[in-house]
Amino acid sequence: MAERVAFSPVPYPRLRRTVKFMLPLMGLVVIWQLVVVIFDVNPRIFPDVPTVLRAGWGTIADGSLFSHVTASLWRVTVGTVLAILLAVPLGILMGVSRGVSSFLSPLFRFFSVLAGIAWIPIATLWFGYGFGAITFVIFNAVFFVVTYNTLLGVSTIPMPIRHAAASLGTSRWQLLKEVLVPGALPNIVTGIRTGMGFAWRGLIAAEMIATNTGLGYMLFLARDFYRTEVIVFAMIVIGIIWLVLDRLLLAPLERATVERWGMVQRS
Amino acid sequence: MTYAQTIWGMYVRWTTAWPALSAFAPFVPLIALWGFVVWLEIFPRVFLPGPFEVLQTSWSLLYKGILPAYLGDSLVRLAVGAAAGMALAIPLGIFIGLNQRAHDATWPVLLFFQAIGDIAWLPILLVWFGFGLTTMTFVIVYTVMFPVILNTVLGIRSARPELERAAQSLGASRTRILFEVTLPGALPNIITGLRNGLGYGWRALIAAEIIVGTSGIGFLMFDARRAGSVDEIVVGMIVLGILWYIVDSWILAPIERATGERWGLVTT
Repeated sequence: MAERVAFSPVPYPRLRRTVKFMLPLMGLVVIWQLVVVIFDVNPRIFPDVPTVLRAGWGTIADGSLFSHVTASLWRVTVGTVLAILLAVPLGILMGVSRGVSSFLSPLFRFFSVLAGIAWIPIATLWFGYGFGAITFVIFNAVFFVVTYNTLLGVSTIPMPIRHAAASLGTSRWQLLKEVLVPGALPNIVTGIRTGMGFAWRGLIAAEMIATNTGLGYMLFLARDFYRTEVIVFAMIVIGIIWLVLDRLLLAPLERATVERWGMVQRS
Repeated sequence: MTYAQTIWGMYVRWTTAWPALSAFAPFVPLIALWGFVVWLEIFPRVFLPGPFEVLQTSWSLLYKGILPAYLGDSLVRLAVGAAAGMALAIPLGIFIGLNQRAHDATWPVLLFFQAIGDIAWLPILLVWFGFGLTTMTFVIVYTVMFPVILNTVLGIRSARPELERAAQSLGASRTRILFEVTLPGALPNIITGLRNGLGYGWRALIAAEIIVGTSGIGFLMFDARRAGSVDEIVVGMIVLGILWYIVDSWILAPIERATGERWGLVTT
């Protein structure tokens, strides 16, 4: 016990927070089971907890869950990474000049409004049903939102800061590296988070329509056979994956960049 | 170069005269570029129609009355769903935001249901309600509800205690504090939530129409996809884009800005 220097009034704060977070969810499961038992709900309409767990275990045991999840995550990763790699440089390039950015921002706004699901029909026409179409939809959802946000981020960096850097004799490269990118970073990360939110929903929708693996397909296939227990299990999996992705990865990233580089406007 | 400069100068002069123009002007070169690419015939016409074909198709869809009817269907669904979602979400959000116990008990559940996402509900909704209006309304209500609840709760909870105490020490009753201090303070957050919720709801509607498909813009696009008429898909996309652009940037964004300026707690 000697090496425990930092004293906190609440022992194990992280554990406590996790328990506090999990408790209501556990309560929800209990209520679900009680409702199904008491009202004697038809399992075709809504299954009880053990049935869902058994169905879930079945999909884990035969490896289908694993292959669906990896297929979905792989598409999201490829689409998102490609989109970010293209969108950030493009956004910065366009944002540097105020005239160009104000000219182009309605365009990118228009396309970021359209992003994601609206592209599914034409994506399936261009790329056929499968990996290409779905990755394109994800790419699209992330690309336009991130570009628009980057553009916005760069063009809202206060001019005095840029002038100050220039008058201190920074080269263009240094200006980019030390002023423009850090200044736009909070916006970029927010854009990535928003874009991925749209992309994840777009992914599920696209997989229902246009493929034969992935979580969305798993859902839709189960619907064809009226296997509500598989549907409910897949919904829970989708919820958990997005919750983990958003709360444990994207939200902390956003908070950290805003704290570190965010320009709190003081009026 | 001089031509480009002249054109740019004209653009700058006109947009300062009519600021609304700057929302449309960038689309002119884009459409020209699109026409040019089509004219070069790099991609076959069945994959990428030209602007004129799209214009023709949209005119014929308008003339036949399909486009207005479907557009009306989509908008009515969205409006009904959004209104119902807001009517449910705002009181619930206020309750959860004011009550610490309710917050502890429901916050993780809310986050989880928000994470499941609208579209993942479609299959089980189809089992419950079949292919129909109930399914679509449910999806939109669900989608609009969660961002609004979450943001309302955030807004209420981020109300500054010293303002509440000031009101209290001036003798305001609890209801007056709620209506004159807490709620106005939370309003910017509520509006932001509404804007997000509608953005998600709009996309959910399109997905629902594609999958459930009896009418609406999403159905129009997917039906065109099945028939292989790419120009109708493009018409659908353009209509969707324009519509949401108008709703978002001419209605929602100004409201958000106005409430932010009027009631936002700008910390100096």
